[in-house]
Amino acid sequence: MKTEEAMIRTVNLVKKFGHHEVLRGINFEVQPSEVVVIVGPSGSGKSTLLRCINGLEHATGGHVYVEGIDITDHDTDINLVRQKLGMVFQNFNLFPHLTALGNVTLAPVKVKDMKQKDADRRGIELLDKVGLKEKADSYPAHLSGGQQQRVAIARAFAMDPDVMLFDEVTSALDPELVKEVLDTMKDLVREGMTMIVVTHEMGFAKEMGDRMVFMDEGEIVEEGKPVDVFTNPRSPRTREFFSKILSHN
Amino acid sequence: MKILWESMPYLLRGMWITIKLAVVSEVCILILGLLLSLVRISRVRVFRFLAAVYIDVIRGIPLILQIVIIYFGLGHLGLNLDRFTAGVLALTVCYAAYEAEIFRSGIESIDKGQMEAARSLGMGYMKSMRYIILPQAVRRVIPPLSNEFIALLKDTALVSVIALAEVFQRGRELMGTLASVTPLVGVAICYLMLTIPLMRLVQYIEKRMARGD
Ligand SMILES: Nc1ncnc2c1ncn2[C@@H]1O[C@H](COP(=O)(O)OP(=O)(O)OP(=O)(O)O)[C@@H](O)[C@H]1O
Ligand SMILES: [Mg+2]
Repeated sequence: MKTEEAMIRTVNLVKKFGHHEVLRGINFEVQPSEVVVIVGPSGSGKSTLLRCINGLEHATGGHVYVEGIDITDHDTDINLVRQKLGMVFQNFNLFPHLTALGNVTLAPVKVKDMKQKDADRRGIELLDKVGLKEKADSYPAHLSGGQQQRVAIARAFAMDPDVMLFDEVTSALDPELVKEVLDTMKDLVREGMTMIVVTHEMGFAKEMGDRMVFMDEGEIVEEGKPVDVFTNPRSPRTREFFSKILSHN
Repeated sequence: MKILWESMPYLLRGMWITIKLAVVSEVCILILGLLLSLVRISRVRVFRFLAAVYIDVIRGIPLILQIVIIYFGLGHLGLNLDRFTAGVLALTVCYAAYEAEIFRSGIESIDKGQMEAARSLGMGYMKSMRYIILPQAVRRVIPPLSNEFIALLKDTALVSVIALAEVFQRGRELMGTLASVTPLVGVAICYLMLTIPLMRLVQYIEKRMARGD
């Protein structure tokens, strides 16, 4: 047992869709301030793992602990746990009927009972932080993909989460917009945010990741320092995956 | 022409009742229809089932029959509603079933990611519905709901079956006493004065929404 409770811990986490076993007994831990990068081929269960961690999917077996609280326990108030977990999605999922500022302030006001005035002030600060202060009153439809994704990051961050989950947040972006989003994420890393990042951006992974986890067919095949996993993979499956990625780029 | 002119005041007073009937019913319909749609998509199986049964049964019976059943049926049970209330009740019970399906399709047309984003921020199901899903869904169903309102306005004529003195009932009375169909032309004019502007309004809204607000 560690002296410090892991931020996130999964124990023999199993997820099945019908007979399809998408996660096959995942044991996974994230320590405070750690940045864990998850890589793996399409369909390996990366998104499902993230979604099990914040309860968007119900685990079929095993346990998921968030700061020691078992979210697979029916008595756990999942809404309370989710406040500790910020999630950013591949396709942004901004609320189209609200302005950028409205997107950022809604949850603090409706969930944390923050006063609208205070939430607005904080919201402007956060939008400023992601470089979008002047877009506070714009609706998502009038923002570029990169801008939308930065608003989505600010929205998740506005709840003061302890951990942030990123699911391929740059995959839906035009190449020239990827950098601005990665830069925003790097700022969060420097502030000591605990992060789980599913990505194909190997540059980000090597520069910012404390640990890289390679998943394939619902299992964690290999993990370690990003450079080690990347340059010196032990498993043939990992090697094959990276050689495909390299030839692809 | 003279008959038409002379029957108009009497008919217009009937039209006022028609309008009241339609508007009061519509308010009740929107509330019941929305609630019904939420039950229809609830995660509790029994609720979903009951709502589906209600919707199917109501949609499978002619409205005129529902009006008669509610007025005379409830009368038999000792619940003597006045004609107006019975009319509102029957129209509500019926149209709520249709509008529930419209609300449901509106809710289901909202991208799944919206609910997930809301939930991931710690908002419960109800809050997510209220602040994220419904505001978007309601906008989308405004055109079909407006068309339903126009249909409702015309269907109020069926309440004449329990002798409520709305415009159609009055037209028929005049037709009998004056031995002329002309008053019914007046009735048609009364409906058109409302339905044509409403239809134009719906078209305008649809066009604006197609342009993306
Ligand atoms: N709701 C669902 N119902 C049925 N099967 C699902 C569902 N969600 C995911 N799956 C399946 O689970 C497997 C893992 O999906 P997941 O999205 O976790 O993979 P991934 O590693 O994130 O892939 P990608 O890189 O393409 O995003 C896939 O085979 C997918 O088809
Ligand atoms: Mg995925």
